[in-house]
Amino acid sequence: MNNPSSQPNGLNPQGRRAIEIVNAGLARRYRKERRFRLYGISAILASLLFLSFLFGSIISKGYSAFQQTFIQLDIFFDPAILSQESLSTANYPGIVKQSLRQMFPEVKSRQDKRMLYRLVSSGASFQIRQMVLDSPEMIGQTLQVWVIADDDIDMLEKGHFDLEAPEGERRIKDIQLAWVDRLKKESRIEKRFNRILFTAGDSREPELAGILGAVAGSFYTLLVTLLLSFPIGIASAVYLEEFATQNRWTDLIEVNINNLAAVPSIVFGLLGLAVFLNFFGLPRSAPLVGGLVLTLMTLPTIIIASRASLQSVPPSIREAALGIGASKMQMVTHHVLPLALPGILTGTIIGMARALGESAPLLMIGMVAFIVDVPGGFTDPSTVLPVQIFLWADSPERAFVERTSAATIVLLAFLIIMNASAVYLRKKFERRW
Amino acid sequence: MFRKSVLIGTALIFLVSAGSVYAASARDYISIVGSSTVYPFATVVAEQFGKTTSYKTPKIESTGSGGGLKLFCAGVGVEHPDITNASRAIKKSEYDKCQKNGVKEIVEVKIGYDGIVVANSKKTAPMKLTRKDLFLALAKDVPNPKGGETLVPNPYKTWKDVNPSLPNVKIEVLGPPPTSGTRDAFVELAMEGGAKKFDWIKAMKKKDKKAYKAICHTVREDGAYVEAGENDNLIVQKLDANPNALGIFGFSFLDQNTDIIQGSFVDGVQPTFDAIADGQYPVSRPLFFYVKKAHVGVIPGIQEYLNEFTSDKAWGPDGYLSEKGMIPMPDEERAQFQSDVKALKPITMK
Amino acid sequence: MISPYMIFAAILLLTSGAYVIGRKRAFAVAGDRAGLMQMHSRPTYYGLLTAMWCGIPALVIFSAWSVFESGIITQLVIAGMPDSIRDLPPDRLNLIVNDIKNLVSGNIVSAEMNQTLRAAADHYRQLQAISSAALTVVVLALIMIATTMIMRAISPSLRARNQVETIIKWILIACSTIAIFTTIGILLSVLFEAIRFFEKISLTEFLFGLKWSPQMAIREDQVGSSGAFGAIPVFAGTLMISAIAMVVAVPIGLMSAIYLSEYANRRFRAIAKPLMEILAGIPTVVYGFFAALTVAPMIRDTGLGLGLDVSSESALAAGLVMGIMIIPFVSSLSDDVINAVPQAMRDGAYGLGATQSETVKQVVLPAALPGIVGGVLLAVSRAIGETMIVVMAAGLAANLTANPLKTVTTVTVQIVTLLVGDQEFDSPKTLAAFALGLVLFIATLILNVIALHVVRKYREQYE
Repeated sequence: MNNPSSQPNGLNPQGRRAIEIVNAGLARRYRKERRFRLYGISAILASLLFLSFLFGSIISKGYSAFQQTFIQLDIFFDPAILSQESLSTANYPGIVKQSLRQMFPEVKSRQDKRMLYRLVSSGASFQIRQMVLDSPEMIGQTLQVWVIADDDIDMLEKGHFDLEAPEGERRIKDIQLAWVDRLKKESRIEKRFNRILFTAGDSREPELAGILGAVAGSFYTLLVTLLLSFPIGIASAVYLEEFATQNRWTDLIEVNINNLAAVPSIVFGLLGLAVFLNFFGLPRSAPLVGGLVLTLMTLPTIIIASRASLQSVPPSIREAALGIGASKMQMVTHHVLPLALPGILTGTIIGMARALGESAPLLMIGMVAFIVDVPGGFTDPSTVLPVQIFLWADSPERAFVERTSAATIVLLAFLIIMNASAVYLRKKFERRW
Repeated sequence: MFRKSVLIGTALIFLVSAGSVYAASARDYISIVGSSTVYPFATVVAEQFGKTTSYKTPKIESTGSGGGLKLFCAGVGVEHPDITNASRAIKKSEYDKCQKNGVKEIVEVKIGYDGIVVANSKKTAPMKLTRKDLFLALAKDVPNPKGGETLVPNPYKTWKDVNPSLPNVKIEVLGPPPTSGTRDAFVELAMEGGAKKFDWIKAMKKKDKKAYKAICHTVREDGAYVEAGENDNLIVQKLDANPNALGIFGFSFLDQNTDIIQGSFVDGVQPTFDAIADGQYPVSRPLFFYVKKAHVGVIPGIQEYLNEFTSDKAWGPDGYLSEKGMIPMPDEERAQFQSDVKALKPITMK
Repeated sequence: MISPYMIFAAILLLTSGAYVIGRKRAFAVAGDRAGLMQMHSRPTYYGLLTAMWCGIPALVIFSAWSVFESGIITQLVIAGMPDSIRDLPPDRLNLIVNDIKNLVSGNIVSAEMNQTLRAAADHYRQLQAISSAALTVVVLALIMIATTMIMRAISPSLRARNQVETIIKWILIACSTIAIFTTIGILLSVLFEAIRFFEKISLTEFLFGLKWSPQMAIREDQVGSSGAFGAIPVFAGTLMISAIAMVVAVPIGLMSAIYLSEYANRRFRAIAKPLMEILAGIPTVVYGFFAALTVAPMIRDTGLGLGLDVSSESALAAGLVMGIMIIPFVSSLSDDVINAVPQAMRDGAYGLGATQSETVKQVVLPAALPGIVGGVLLAVSRAIGETMIVVMAAGLAANLTANPLKTVTTVTVQIVTLLVGDQEFDSPKTLAAFALGLVLFIATLILNVIALHVVRKYREQYE
């Protein structure tokens, strides 16, 4: 780069005035300037393009999971079935099947009956059971009840099946199609908002599967991670950057922290297994352990980001604080930390975002598991959202495809809420000097 | 602000150490670990069990058969799992380890079969393969195509090279890695079956069993066989994206995706539920789970879970497991295991 | 009954109470404004000191109590049970204790409820009540004593600030040593299994072998074919994929950061930066699907169109997608440090007639370099340690190649597949996962030591 003002006397060896050289180069320099600017904006646009593409593909695949197909049945709460045993263990599937048989009396063969029963989800009988337990007085009556349709019917209604294909290659047979058409004519089929997705735990039946358990698990896990990694990360960074004198000991710590950032996440899982489970005897599959493992994993990110940010606080600010008689601790807490906070928060956002999306280390500590009950605390067995996404993505049933994307949407919403609060804080503290 | 966070942080460290107390608290649910192949079936049973009884739904981890048995054999007690799923039978060394750690009595339950299918995208015609074709296409060393009883490194590039009746497309098979039980069963049943068609290789079995097995079980590594990991759904979708490739995976994934992929004929039989169940389709393998007898009657619900699993409405020919793609055992075999489970008959290995 | 959470909450509450009391006391001792000037420290510090003396010992006692309580109670309960049960082997006893605990917490119990168990459960409950009552008394007493003592000690000459700062400093030191303990923990948790692996496979073969193919027998009656454990192709694959990722992430990330901090207006920056950070938080499983199902076929088809031999699971696909994921590591961290370069330096450059881009390139970037290098190093680390994307998109075949269109495998992929496989758990195959982890750990450690020295050499302090 030519820097004209560095020439003495404004004259260069050829005897031309500096301003002429500057003017001669200006057009080129402005071009360069524009090009540089263009690189910058295109880099940002490229990353935003990737982001919108990913979002687009996730949302277009997943939005349909927020609806679920229901079928209206005339359920006869048969006293013959419901009174012979205790109410909680009665033959509820029998009631649902009986109702289906009455609606389609022409179905006779065993094979066809089985297909008929498959129109509604196996969850329907639990739904009926809950109704009976809530209000036993309905026994003996016939009521119209909207029950959950089977996942195949749901997929059919959402247009995920190719009906042109020969019957043998379809999951929905012609006879079932006829039944569905008849139900439609009687307007007994309807798509409604899928409440189950947000209020249930995991299930192997796609139409009964929900993410509440995973969301709760992620919440507890990340709470532990945030409460531990944020203060510990800042504390380490402050010590290393502001108090420690440079010696072998601090070098050792520094190298260790940088190195831990490169350790594959699954190795942290091995560590968690050996230390937290086997040595400390903490329970398997618990959000507490998951949070601890993720804390160790995110700490290096937060520490490195915080140190970089502390380093960039101008020395003049420190000197001014010390100069008016602040102690070193006061200088750090009153002046340096608030100025470094935006960078620290960035590190925390990225670290926590990673912790939220990470599934590999949780494999070793038993959080990659089928858990139906929604965890109610830090030591209940639970799983987390990315693991749920992974498990659903690995399930054979077609209906899990859209639910996988729906779970991803929920995870992203979780992420955006988490980031938004940190970004708000960051904006509050950000300044230029 | 900073000081406060330091305070909260330290407080939390203490809280965490305090948390270890509740770690020692009791377990009131069944803990199951093990194979990712059995996972989709075991979870269905667990869910049914949890919904229809007053017991909690068991927790089922997907750790792989080896990892599951390692956890299972670590000892008796609440912190160890009660049941492990496996896509292969327990090995002697694992059994010994169990014995050493005090897990004396182990009940083996065979639950059914998993068909292993070779499939491709619906966008092309189904492949009509024989086991011999599979062996020739996928083995590392194959009999010299020019004749003679020698082996040469696999020269075949396209399916047409292997068998003139097959289409002229590049051999590209997405299959499980060597750590997988599916791969293990595939080489054993399909490739060894194909290798036996060569009489001189078959004759080697008696003379030099080691060399024989090495020929049959070694998969080529020059890129024609792509180790694609354990995620079978991903394989299905990769097949959809690449119509020329074949994939190897469990029957349940074919069953659920009949509109985008089709099973290849193997020895003239297409992998359908019935063909696998009656043994016509040659490639299927048994699935198991193992129960720690010492835990039965101590951890709530194990006996009831076993009853649910071995009931006809679960693993019978019309049971809900068959709907999920598991191939049920023949009636006598089922009755046999049912009575073994009732009696909790432990296995012995010498 | 007093639950431990209640005790814990009480401690926190009393600690904050102590702060208020200590601060009030300092005001009282000082008397008036003039007196306040005579105090060694500001009243806040007296409050903090009181709070620390009140909270820390109580918390220590509380956690120690919590750790040992359950064990001691269990022992006492067992001691109170009949001989027939006491003499059971420890693992059986353990299960019976589980039953008792289930009984105590009111859960379903599997075994028939016999009298002994019931009695034991009652005994357990009783002891638990005694224990928590005792804990409450001890903790409260401790808090009382500590608070009164410190209240008495508060006087103008008490060097409260210095004491508080010393305590905080020790807490800071303790936090920074966690990294060391983590490292030790990781080493210990992989070392033993790795040693067992090296008993079966020699170290030189592992480190310098050019062939990786863990096709070993899964069952005994099987004959393993090539069981080659040469780690070089695996590490080479890791390096290649990370390098591709960095080629994507560093230019895009750095240019984005420069644009955001130097050119963009406040509103654009306030929106674009958080949006880009979302890229780092999308679950890696999603990226994996994206790489395997969208990017890889695209690259293959393009390659085939150009007449190139492209594998379906090329290193390029995994690397590109991983690069997208780590863009925010470079962009956000660099943006923060660039933003922190003092405006005076830019003004100086403008004053000399430099254009904005010249200022960025010659003044701002060098000043921000340590921070940028930190961000890039973090991104490299993330690329090396990333698992799910490569598991789904990169395949498992270990080819030693420099061609990014071929399939390669990475250390993390191998570790995951080996650990969750169906093979026997003490076969060299499983143990190889630990050896890979260990070697990767040591390799990155060495690289970091070198990086530390290099960075330090070039680090400049501005202003």
